[in-house]
Amino acid sequence: QSFKLLGFLDVKNVPCARESILYGSLGSLVMGLGHFIATSRVRRSCDVAVGGFICTMLGYWFYCRYNLAQQRIRQRMLKEGMKNRILFEGSYLDPEKEQTGRERSDS
Amino acid sequence: MANHSQFGFQDASSPIMEELVEFHDHALMTALAICCLVLYLLTLMLNEKLTSNTVDAQEIELVWTILPAAVLIMLALPSLQILYMMDEINEPHLTLKAIGHQWYWTYEYTDFKDLTFDSYMIQTTDLPLGHFRLLEVDHRVIVPMESPVRVIVTADDVLHSWAVPSLGVKTDAIPGRLNQTSFTASRPGIFYGQCSEICGANHSFMPIVVEAAPLANFESWSSLL
Repeated sequence: QSFKLLGFLDVKNVPCARESILYGSLGSLVMGLGHFIATSRVRRSCDVAVGGFICTMLGYWFYCRYNLAQQRIRQRMLKEGMKNRILFEGSYLDPEKEQTGRERSDS
Repeated sequence: MANHSQFGFQDASSPIMEELVEFHDHALMTALAICCLVLYLLTLMLNEKLTSNTVDAQEIELVWTILPAAVLIMLALPSLQILYMMDEINEPHLTLKAIGHQWYWTYEYTDFKDLTFDSYMIQTTDLPLGHFRLLEVDHRVIVPMESPVRVIVTADDVLHSWAVPSLGVKTDAIPGRLNQTSFTASRPGIFYGQCSEICGANHSFMPIVVEAAPLANFESWSSLL
């Protein structure tokens, strides 16, 4: 079952979406309340709150998606490495065999 | 295949489709941010809080020029990256021809031998229990998994379109023209698609089924043809 914010953003199933919305709400609350406490201006505090929500949400979104992309690249490299290890194990292309040979020659 | 009342993408089965899904999420998040801003401004206008002092000022002109430009750049850069990624020359392991007819597909595997077969939809009355209505075919397209496959799409009579959503492929089949696309099935499985260009009475009844299998299975299947 999915929950779609404003009818189109599936917050449950899109990676990083839920955290972005939550951090955005928190940032909005903090910035809006902080501005109001500092200046006692309601209208401007509302503007700051909305701006803070958008900026915090988008900021965390980019940060989270960047980390996710890096993780996926590492996963792909790991998968490729494991496949190559299984494929070349015991053969002359096995990098572990070269390493063991080098250790023996060093000792 | 899509579930009933499914609104979003099917699970990605190729690297390109994964990128497309990620870009779609990114675009939706941008859309959400814009919607929040617009809703807030609408609220201000309805409460008569947005005056001409704001909208006639010089600073706002700068904001509503730079902000849309930034949003467009934010959307255009990943979009173009994926566009170019889709057109990369990647030395396909297999070339497959898909020819659209009214109302079935013909597939040709001519890399090594001349292997040709037609693919008709299985009628609902002949469908075995548990199979999908209007999606199953008598002869599936079998491709090796984790291998780049090039598909050359054309048509024999009218316009058709060869589409498999979970592989991120949709290519028009135009009579007298060869269109090329490619995909790499990341995992074994059966992927369904339907003709995506109106082509007559039975346009909805000429589905596409791609079965990605390990190379050994693909070889044994092709030796049977």
